[in-house]
Amino acid sequence: MAEVRLVNIKKVYPQDASEKKKAKKAKNAGEEEKKVNLQVTEEGVVAVQEFNLDIADKEFIVLVGPSGCGKSTTLRMIAGLEEISGGELYIDGKVVNDVAPKDRDIAMVFQNYALYPHMTVYENMAFSLKLKKTPKDEIDKKVREAAEILDITQYLDRKPKALSGGQRQRVAIGRAIVRNPKILLMDEPLSNLDAKLRNQMRAEIIKLREKINTTFVYVTHDQVEAMTLGDRIVIMRDGFIQQIGTPQEVFNHPNNLFVAGFIGTPQMNFFEAKLTKKDDKYVVTVQGKDFELPADKQEAAKKLDKVPEDIVLGIRPVHVSLAADGIPATVDVSELMGSELHLHVNSDGKDVVIVVPTTDIDVDAIHGKHAEVHYTFRPELMHIFDKETEKNLF
Amino acid sequence: METKKTPKLHKGNPSNGGKLPVALITPSMIIIFGVLIFPIVYSFILSFNNLVIKDNSLEWVGLKNYIDMFKDQTWRDSVKQTLIFTIISVFCEIVFGVAIALVLNKEFKGRGFVRGIMILPWALPGVVNAIMWKWIFNANYGAFNALMLQIGIIDKYQAWLATPRSAFICVLVANIWKETPYVVLLTIAALANIDKGLYEAASIDGANGWKAFWTITLPLIKPVLLILLITKTIWALQTYDLVYLMTAGGPMGSTEFITFLIQKTSFKYLKWGYGSAMAFTLSIICFIMTIIYIRVFMGNDGTKKSFGFGKKKGGNQ
Repeated sequence: MAEVRLVNIKKVYPQDASEKKKAKKAKNAGEEEKKVNLQVTEEGVVAVQEFNLDIADKEFIVLVGPSGCGKSTTLRMIAGLEEISGGELYIDGKVVNDVAPKDRDIAMVFQNYALYPHMTVYENMAFSLKLKKTPKDEIDKKVREAAEILDITQYLDRKPKALSGGQRQRVAIGRAIVRNPKILLMDEPLSNLDAKLRNQMRAEIIKLREKINTTFVYVTHDQVEAMTLGDRIVIMRDGFIQQIGTPQEVFNHPNNLFVAGFIGTPQMNFFEAKLTKKDDKYVVTVQGKDFELPADKQEAAKKLDKVPEDIVLGIRPVHVSLAADGIPATVDVSELMGSELHLHVNSDGKDVVIVVPTTDIDVDAIHGKHAEVHYTFRPELMHIFDKETEKNLF
Repeated sequence: METKKTPKLHKGNPSNGGKLPVALITPSMIIIFGVLIFPIVYSFILSFNNLVIKDNSLEWVGLKNYIDMFKDQTWRDSVKQTLIFTIISVFCEIVFGVAIALVLNKEFKGRGFVRGIMILPWALPGVVNAIMWKWIFNANYGAFNALMLQIGIIDKYQAWLATPRSAFICVLVANIWKETPYVVLLTIAALANIDKGLYEAASIDGANGWKAFWTITLPLIKPVLLILLITKTIWALQTYDLVYLMTAGGPMGSTEFITFLIQKTSFKYLKWGYGSAMAFTLSIICFIMTIIYIRVFMGNDGTKKSFGFGKKKGGNQ
C-alpha cells in the first residue's frame, strides 16, 4: 500500500576503457551494429532515461516492451537492486534512492523464482520474517495464510527441487506476500511457464490482487499479460517511455507507430498513404481508394498548424472487413482459428492481415484457396501517423 | 501375426556367462590385488606377528603389538601431536580457503591472474615445498628471520626449527600454505554454482553480507566443505614428506607424527609387525574421523541424499 513516484529516473551502465575503445573503433570504421538502439554517451550506455511515472496506491502497473527496452532495469531500480544514476524515486513521499532494498518495504518475484534450494517451502516463505525477528507463532500464522491463498499448503515441507514450475512460482509469490509489502514487484514471473500454465497463473494473479491490497509493478514482454493485468500500462522502447495509459487507451489511441505495432495481435496493418484536402474535407488515399476522415478528425486536422501529406495509416486486422466494393487483394495464406479466419492477403504488393469472424462469411469459398477478395474498413477506425515523426496525428 | 525374435545376445554378454568379460577384467584385477589388496592383507597379518629378519619367518604374537602400542609413550605422544596438527591444519585451511575463495569470487581486475597464482602452492611438489620452507626458517640465512628482524619483532636470528614448539608451528605453517589453495579451488567451483539471483532475493528479504553468508552461501557450499573436511583430515593425518625433510621428527619428537613414527619403527628399527599395527590403527583413526564428520556435518537435512549415504528419509527429491 504505497504510492510510488519516479521522477526523471535515469540509468547509465558505465563502459570500461576497453569497451570504449572498441566503440570508438567501430565508429571509425563506420560500422554501427547494435542490438538495441540504446543511447551511448561519454558516461556509458543509457538504459533508461526521462522516466517519469506516478503510481497510485494499490494500482497495478505493467511495464511492457521488447527485450532491452529498460523495463527490468526500471523495476530493479525500484527494488534497489540497481543503483539509480539520476532522478528521484519516492515511495510514500520519501526519497528512497539510497535506501537499502530490505528497508524499502518491497517484495519481488523473480523470473527464475530464486527460491533458496536448501530451504523447504515453509522456510523459504518464513525467511524474511525470521530475519525481522518476528515471533514464531506469528510467522507460522502468516506463512499458513499465504500458503492457503496460493493453495500450496500441502507442499510446505518440500524442497523447491521437488516442485513443478507452476508450484515454484506460487512459492515465489508466497514468499513475497507473507511480509505484506508496500509494493509487490514482479519481474516476468510467468515467462518460464508453459502456455497453459501461464494462462492459469495469469488468472491467479488477478485473483491474488483481489485478496491482497498492495501496489503492483509488473514487468513483462507479453502484451497479452500487460493488457489483461494492468490498470495502466507503461510501454517502453530503447530506454524511453513511449506511452502510459489504461489498456483500452493504449489500444484505441496508440501514441506512435511503435505502440500501435506492439499492442494488439495480430499486429496492426500499416499502409503508406496520402492525406490531402479535397473540397474542404481531409481525405486519406490508400491503395487507390479515398477515405474521408470522420467529423471529429476533420475538426482536429483543421486545428493542426501543418497537416503532413505523407502519412502512415494504421488499421487493426479485426477492423478490416470484406466487402464487394472494397480494395482488391489475393489471399496468400488463410488460417482458420475456429471462430475467426485470419487472412494474409496481398493487396497491390502490400501484405495485409484481415481477421474475419467465421459466422460472417462463407468459409469454404475463401479458406484454403488463393481467392480474390475485396476489403475495406470504417474511416473512424483508422489510425493516422505522421510518416516523419511516427507520432499519432489526432 | 508373427512376433519378431529378440536379437541373439552377444557371446560376451555377462548374463550368458561368456569368457570375454572375465578376460577383460583380469589384468586390472591382478593389478588391484597385487598393489592394493595383497599389501593390506599382508600388513594386517603382519600386525599380529613379529617378522624374524634372519630367516624371514613370522612369529605369531597375537594382540601383543597393539597392547604394546597403547603402553608406548612415544606412540601416545605421536598420536597427540598428529591430532593437534591435523585439527589446526584443517581448521585454518578451510577458514582461509573459504575466505580467499569468497574474495576471488568477486569481480575485480586481474582476477584470472590472481586465481592462477593462487593454485601454485598446491601444484608445488611436496619435497620442493618442504625444502623451500626449511630455507625460509633457516636459522642463519632464512627469509623469515630477516623479516622478523627488520620489523623489529626479534632482536637476533632465531633457530626456528630447533625448539619443539616453534618447529611444530613452522611445519604447521608450511602445511597450511601448501594445502589451502586446494580448498580455494573447490570452494570457488562451489560458489560459481550458486545462483546470483538468490543474493538479490536475500537482499530484499533482509539478508546482506554476513547474514547472507551464513544463511545462503554456507549451506549451499556445505556438501563441498564436507568433502574437503574428509580429504584434508586424511591428508593431514598422513603428513610425512614435510616432517621428514623439515625436521626429521625433531626436535625432541615434537613433530614426530604417526606416519613418520611408523616409517621409523618399520624401516629403521625393523619392527615390521609393530609398525603394521600402528599403520592399522592410523587407518582406523581416519575412518572414525570420517564417520564423525558425516554424522555431525550432515545432521538431519536432505543434503546427505546427494551423497548416497546415510539413511534415506522421504522419497520426494
